[in-house]
Amino acid sequence: MLRCEHCKLPIYENEAIWGDYGRERLTFCCHGCKGVYEIIHKEGLESFYEQRKWDDSNYPLGKALFRSVQANQFEELVKVEKDSIKSINFYIDNIRCASCVWLNEKILTKTRGIKSARINYATYNAHIIWDDSEISLQDILNKIVSIGYCPKPFKETESFKLQKAEAKDLLIRFGTACFLSSQLMVYSIALYAGYFQDIDVNTKFALEIIALFLTTPIVFYSGLPFLKNTLKSLRHLHFNMDTLISTGAMSAYVFSIYQLFIGGKVYFDVASMIITLILLGRYIETTAKSRASEEIYRLYELLPTEARIDGQEDRFIPIKSLTKGQKIRIIPGERIPIDAIVINGETETDESLINGESKPVFKTVGSIVIGGSINLNGSIVGEVINDFENTFLSGIVNSIMEAQTRKPHIQNIADKVVAYFVPIIFILAFMTGLYHFFNAHTLAYSLMVGISVIVIACPCSLGLATPLAILIATTKATKIGILIKGADIIEKVRMVNTVVFDKTGTLTVGKPKIKEIIIHKVGYDKESVLLLSASLERHSEHSIAKAIIEAARGMSLHTFETVETKPGRGIKGIYEGVHVLIGNRLFMSENQISLTDISSDIYNYEKEGNTLVYVSKGGELIATIVISDKIRDEAFDVIRDLDKGGFQIYILSGDNSATTLSVASRLCVKNVYAEMLPNQKQEFIRDRQSKVATIMMIGDGINDAPSLKESFVGLSMAKGTDVAMESADIVLTREDLRLIPILINLSCKTYNIIRQNIFLAFIYNIVAVPVAMVGLLHPIISAIAMALSSLCVVTNSLRIRN
Amino acid sequence: MWTIAFLIVLTLVIGLGAYFLFLWAVKAGQFDDVEGPKYRMLDDD
Repeated sequence: MLRCEHCKLPIYENEAIWGDYGRERLTFCCHGCKGVYEIIHKEGLESFYEQRKWDDSNYPLGKALFRSVQANQFEELVKVEKDSIKSINFYIDNIRCASCVWLNEKILTKTRGIKSARINYATYNAHIIWDDSEISLQDILNKIVSIGYCPKPFKETESFKLQKAEAKDLLIRFGTACFLSSQLMVYSIALYAGYFQDIDVNTKFALEIIALFLTTPIVFYSGLPFLKNTLKSLRHLHFNMDTLISTGAMSAYVFSIYQLFIGGKVYFDVASMIITLILLGRYIETTAKSRASEEIYRLYELLPTEARIDGQEDRFIPIKSLTKGQKIRIIPGERIPIDAIVINGETETDESLINGESKPVFKTVGSIVIGGSINLNGSIVGEVINDFENTFLSGIVNSIMEAQTRKPHIQNIADKVVAYFVPIIFILAFMTGLYHFFNAHTLAYSLMVGISVIVIACPCSLGLATPLAILIATTKATKIGILIKGADIIEKVRMVNTVVFDKTGTLTVGKPKIKEIIIHKVGYDKESVLLLSASLERHSEHSIAKAIIEAARGMSLHTFETVETKPGRGIKGIYEGVHVLIGNRLFMSENQISLTDISSDIYNYEKEGNTLVYVSKGGELIATIVISDKIRDEAFDVIRDLDKGGFQIYILSGDNSATTLSVASRLCVKNVYAEMLPNQKQEFIRDRQSKVATIMMIGDGINDAPSLKESFVGLSMAKGTDVAMESADIVLTREDLRLIPILINLSCKTYNIIRQNIFLAFIYNIVAVPVAMVGLLHPIISAIAMALSSLCVVTNSLRIRN
Repeated sequence: MWTIAFLIVLTLVIGLGAYFLFLWAVKAGQFDDVEGPKYRMLDDD
């Protein structure tokens, strides 16, 4: 296979980009690399290529290899603007950063025929307008593919569209309320001043009329969603925040209109502030909400869409039309499109995505390869064994979706308080009115005093109490490396009493490392064995080989002749005329190399969960290399802290039981379950949660994805698979388990602040209720209550930052 | 009195102007991608 001159990435001949440089003809993987290569040469910096220490790409195989994209998949997304002018919206995959967006936009806008190309920096959705008579859609797509990105037909789901429209609607309602309230405040202040130093009756009436005109749209346009919800909830006699908001605002509004005409005092400012502040709270909530529906949809993108038919290698057919028994060819570096049984060829596959197995798995005739895993080094022919609907991977995606709909929903604290508060206030208001009526007051007066109780009881800042605290908490969490998706999650973390860890990649680093080199033959030392092994292993893509090469970084390696890799066994080569073999026990015995001389001590390493690799030279065993996947340094402290904090701790792993048990015992975790399949993990969590446990699951692989969704709170590591990150509620952007106790503390603190906020929001209004009950409510009192409670809620929420 | 009436009308007009600007911004999708502009401003062509 060809390699890119600049980045060493393996490339297929038909995808290579050629550059002629005098007598040389060089290959590149992309125009980017070619550009960089040319710049380096133009500046006379060729020595870069001699000085660099790597001769292999560090880019994971498979991801970089694209196939052409067919325009017919995009047809239904095309909109005709005018004559031959057309527009399209689609998703561009593999965009990682702002520079990617920039590159795509620049390349596209410079292309003839493209009128405009805009890519959303947050969602990576491209909007392209082009002239169909000058350039075809296929050419546009090819252009994107040629610079290394992958356009995907992406149709926004209905629910996502609805969510977006809702957010926009809310923004307009909030903006309108803001504009009107700010105008209203001017007149309210003038009226307040009038209470202290008197005001001409006509001027007062004029100001009040203006206030009425400003308030009416706030109540009936901006507050419409609350009014609608209240009507609904009143039918079920169920009181929530909306009930309180609309009764508060409506009573203030009606009360004020009555007062306006009898020459009393008006409370239009109360009506408008209640609605404006609650809308602010709602707006914070919706913008902080995750794009949950979109994320689930993206899971499907992981599923390959096309397969290569055996015998016609250049032809791809859609996975959906594959049937059982069809034969497909899978070449190295490609994702295996569908579950299949190998009928020809040998290879190793990377199944880490599916079952968390970190080491390549050897496959030969008769083995089953799983759709979604990556074919590493051999070309194979497979016979399809499952339909598109029943593959292992789509099974996982389905169980994630199922778990999503079953997820427990917790009631907002503010809603809980309101459920009691509203009836109490109604009863109080009713009693007050009754009392005044029977004490020789007119019906109208008694009614108005009763309503004034409701007016003052409704706390403006209640709508801010929860969203503001959560906004500040999530912002703080993001800063320290915890990405929280969704507003309710920070409230939920506090309720967790059980923590479940996945092993590979979560408790352990997930990258194999050399632990020990044991020398068996006099005349060798660790250094020379490492040098020898690394020199040979650099011809292999195996993760163990990578560990050995990593350890030998900086050494100048030997050159081997006639190197041969044996998948599932090891590697052999000739150095200075002598045969060198590195591999597992099977490989050694197949080559008649005796392992009987070595002491049995080294097998203890195996029991501790390490992998042994033997090195032989000239037919004799010279050393054993012990490879281990290191437990994260901070894992010990974190587990101990959680244990002290009274949490139940479990380890669930897809790995073999010897390795899992050894990790668990070192971490002092008693509850260990090994060799768990993804659905078993999910089953386990569902079972525990149906009893007493509220579970926080921490995982990183696609095998954890269903359990991450199933668990009360799912947490994933940022270096985990995309699926895991998308199914999790929380993502640790910094790979540090210590963030978990910090997160739990933050959640408890935020919850306390929210409770205090709710208290602060209510207290000033409640204190003023008796004043209203005796019929002495004054706009100044309500203004003071509004100002004080809002100020307290805001400053109290800011305490979360410290 | 005349001054007050004049000022009231003036604030309402200015306020309405700002309000319509806001409505236009929402409708025109100015709030759809709040990430992009900070990168696009560095883009000098």
